[in-house]
Amino acid sequence: MTQTDNPSGGAASEGAAAVTPLLAPRWAAALSGLAYKHLRTAEGTDTLEVERGDLRAVLAALKNGAGFAMCTFVTAVDHYPRTPRFAVSHQLLSLEHNDRLRVRCWLRADDAHLPTCSDLWPGANWSERECFDMFGIVFDGHPDLRRLMMPPGYDHHPLRKEFPHVGIEPDRLYRQWDRKRRESWSEKQ
Amino acid sequence: MGSIERGTNDGRALPASLRAVSEGPLATDASGSGFFATKADWLVNWGRKNSLWPMPLGLSCCGIELMAMIGPKFDLARFGAEAARFTPRQCDLLVVAGTLTWKMATAARTIYDQMPDPKWVIAMGVCSSSGGMYDSYAVVQGIDSIMPVDVYVPGCPPRPDAVIDAILKLQKKIERETPVARLFGGGPAMRDERGTGQLHYQPNHGLGKGRLDKHPHDPKSRMNLGDPNPRKTEIQ
Repeated sequence: MTQTDNPSGGAASEGAAAVTPLLAPRWAAALSGLAYKHLRTAEGTDTLEVERGDLRAVLAALKNGAGFAMCTFVTAVDHYPRTPRFAVSHQLLSLEHNDRLRVRCWLRADDAHLPTCSDLWPGANWSERECFDMFGIVFDGHPDLRRLMMPPGYDHHPLRKEFPHVGIEPDRLYRQWDRKRRESWSEKQ
Repeated sequence: MGSIERGTNDGRALPASLRAVSEGPLATDASGSGFFATKADWLVNWGRKNSLWPMPLGLSCCGIELMAMIGPKFDLARFGAEAARFTPRQCDLLVVAGTLTWKMATAARTIYDQMPDPKWVIAMGVCSSSGGMYDSYAVVQGIDSIMPVDVYVPGCPPRPDAVIDAILKLQKKIERETPVARLFGGGPAMRDERGTGQLHYQPNHGLGKGRLDKHPHDPKSRMNLGDPNPRKTEIQ
């Protein structure tokens, strides 16, 4: 087990960082030779913090070597104004062993992209699209990285902390559509 | 929009049969208050109000109550409005039941435009009436931002009884309309007859919203489009 030099410094919010819980043996075997930091969150979820460059290797090792057949979700937390700002979490589930594991990767706001895992778990496809839509985190290699919830052409990423909850001109796209519709009507008249 | 003008016919010629009626012994004046006009109004309105065909636009939990209302327990057929059709071409009552998001707003407006005149709109539930608890970037703060509304029904969701009450109120409103006067060119033209669905005047014209009812999303109360933080916009 290698302690990575993670710049997060965000362990305080995670509660029991001082405790070094034991990794399940099959996880440790699968992860041998890879760089990660093992934490346990306040609610007791085992969490691996990895660097962006190691993320793909760790996820592939967990899927192929430790039986994590399912990626429950991929999401992010905006820790503004902390640097680095975004914590992208991959929640994994092993149906075989009833194991749950979270893999977290910290990203800076000016460099918010990380490799996709939608080729490992096809179900992560829409999770990553949602994460891109809501936080603006770009997943490199994603086959179809379009917005999932907000309409195409929307300018903002609503779950970022600087976004006001009532929105910024929320009706802009509708007004554009409405203007086009009225112009087409007046041409037909 | 345009001004309300009584007694004008926009230069359109009436059909010969109608002209005979309008100039005959039962002639009505341009305001549509004569014997023939009022009786024909009554007949047309009677037919319209007792055969409303709702277009259910069920967007969230209000849609469930809407189904209950049309179903046998509450039996909207007692009031002649049970014939829900899922195409706007056959409907004259749009029931917007639930949370209308800005992403859905274009579809809702398209449905409204596709409905033939005469048409009425019920905003069912607080979400469609005012945005409700969704003080959010994604939700239309009241569907009257994008289409005219005849009856608002509060509730989250409203009971089917409340929506039936709204339909009864809408029937009373239909009773007061003057379709024949419109035919003869009298009376206020409710909507652009070219089919654009544009309004000549707002249904609640003159009834300004209260000071506390205004919201930054509401284009009528928005002061500055470029303001990055609309919550701080001064609302007067």
